[in-house]
Amino acid sequence: MNDPHIAKAFDRDLEAIQAQVMKMGGLVEEAIREGSKSLKSRDVELAEKVRRGDRQIDELEDLINTQCAQVLAIRQPAATDLRTVLTVMKIAGNLERIGDYAKNMAKRTEVLSQMQPVEGASSAIRRMSKEVGSMLSDALDAYVRRDAELAEDVRHRDLEVDQMYNALFREFLTFMMEDPRNITACMHLHFIAKNVERMGDHVTSIADQAVYLATGEMPDDPRPKDNKAIYRVEGFEEADE
Amino acid sequence: MMKDNVDAKVGVNAMDVKFTAKDVQVYYGDNHAIKDVSVDILDKTVTAFIGPSGCGKSTFLRCLNRMNDTIPIARVEGDIRLDGEDINAPQVDPVQLRAKVGMVFQKPNPFPKSIYDNIAYGPRIHGLAKNKADLDEIVEKSLRRGAIWDEVKDRLDAPGTGLSGGQQQRLCIARAVATEPEVLLMDEPCSALDPIATAQVEELIDELRQDYSVVIVTHSMQQAARVSQKTAFFHLGNLVEYDDTTNIFTNPQDTRTESYITGRIG
Repeated sequence: MNDPHIAKAFDRDLEAIQAQVMKMGGLVEEAIREGSKSLKSRDVELAEKVRRGDRQIDELEDLINTQCAQVLAIRQPAATDLRTVLTVMKIAGNLERIGDYAKNMAKRTEVLSQMQPVEGASSAIRRMSKEVGSMLSDALDAYVRRDAELAEDVRHRDLEVDQMYNALFREFLTFMMEDPRNITACMHLHFIAKNVERMGDHVTSIADQAVYLATGEMPDDPRPKDNKAIYRVEGFEEADE
Repeated sequence: MMKDNVDAKVGVNAMDVKFTAKDVQVYYGDNHAIKDVSVDILDKTVTAFIGPSGCGKSTFLRCLNRMNDTIPIARVEGDIRLDGEDINAPQVDPVQLRAKVGMVFQKPNPFPKSIYDNIAYGPRIHGLAKNKADLDEIVEKSLRRGAIWDEVKDRLDAPGTGLSGGQQQRLCIARAVATEPEVLLMDEPCSALDPIATAQVEELIDELRQDYSVVIVTHSMQQAARVSQKTAFFHLGNLVEYDDTTNIFTNPQDTRTESYITGRIG
């Protein structure tokens, strides 16, 4: 459906809104990348930059919501146009949340840089962040290209992120049991890992929106999840899930 | 990609069907205006016909109460049944048919008579009232149905043509329901009305749905979206897509429907 509207201003409005979302997506990808980099390299200055940058992401979300409200009021969009506006609003919300998690990672980086490093943790979180960042980039690509297949692929990749988080969860538990002096740092690191895992959920939701935009239907198969490990109580493996 | 003609029976309970049209063709002289249209129109439902000018939506609407009979060069083929009865059968009297299948037109066209007589005319010629008291009751009931009683009850002797445009249109709707029809056909009933009068007529259409099958032709897609439960999209004489209104406006299956409802050239 690439024919132009008879009202050219409608096309310009829709294009402008989608361009804002892509700009927002670029900023969020950068925040994830730089947040996890600052954690790894204990770079407080870079972390501070990520914290400050979140404001621009929040402002873009406000702008997108305002512009969507205007298009709804003025154009009464239908079909693909309606789905474009609806999905743009949701995706902007998801991106804003991911931006907040990246900002939180940067905040904790500043605290963690004062502490003894926990071996291997920041590299593992960086790998996890890289995966989430690449999923986000593909989810946004799938959105722009109306590519439901690529979006489905992204939805299924979230399983890996869940598994990475579960592995880290167990690792942190071990570190904390080994040496209670690790507890403060491991608690911060665990929050970061949990936040990156939540980023993955928001990326999945963006991929859902890409599927909805392309096909008019929300994906109906439940995406695979792996959260068994952390809800399992040692010694009670047979317990009800 | 969908076929030109959608099997309209999908998901429709046969008990609820009011009109069944099969393979309907209409020709105006050499012009093939309606091509192979098959559709089931449901009872107690508002069905909207949408499509660009000249797509055949009004022509098809007019087949449903044989208004095309009045056009000498028009020829209608195919099978149209109202409650299972062939409406084009030789024994069917078109006047009786039109009492059952009422019509409201684009421009309000009250008779140059009093408000009372505008409503009473139909019931009188069809012998629906035994006496004056009966007729008074029909007139009041119809004007109430038309959501105009409160505005005209003190001046029933005033000429219908003296009412405002919106009132005249509601008077015409009241006139159409006075003969106790089963179906109401509306050909762009709001295109000559202001937004307030339009809202009143749309509210009325929603109320009429409790008792009638309503079919409305409209150029306003927003109006189709607001008032109807089923929408049929016509294009170049074909019925392109027929589905629940919510599906048509959020996720149409045919690219021609999509192009039309989103305001694209297509």
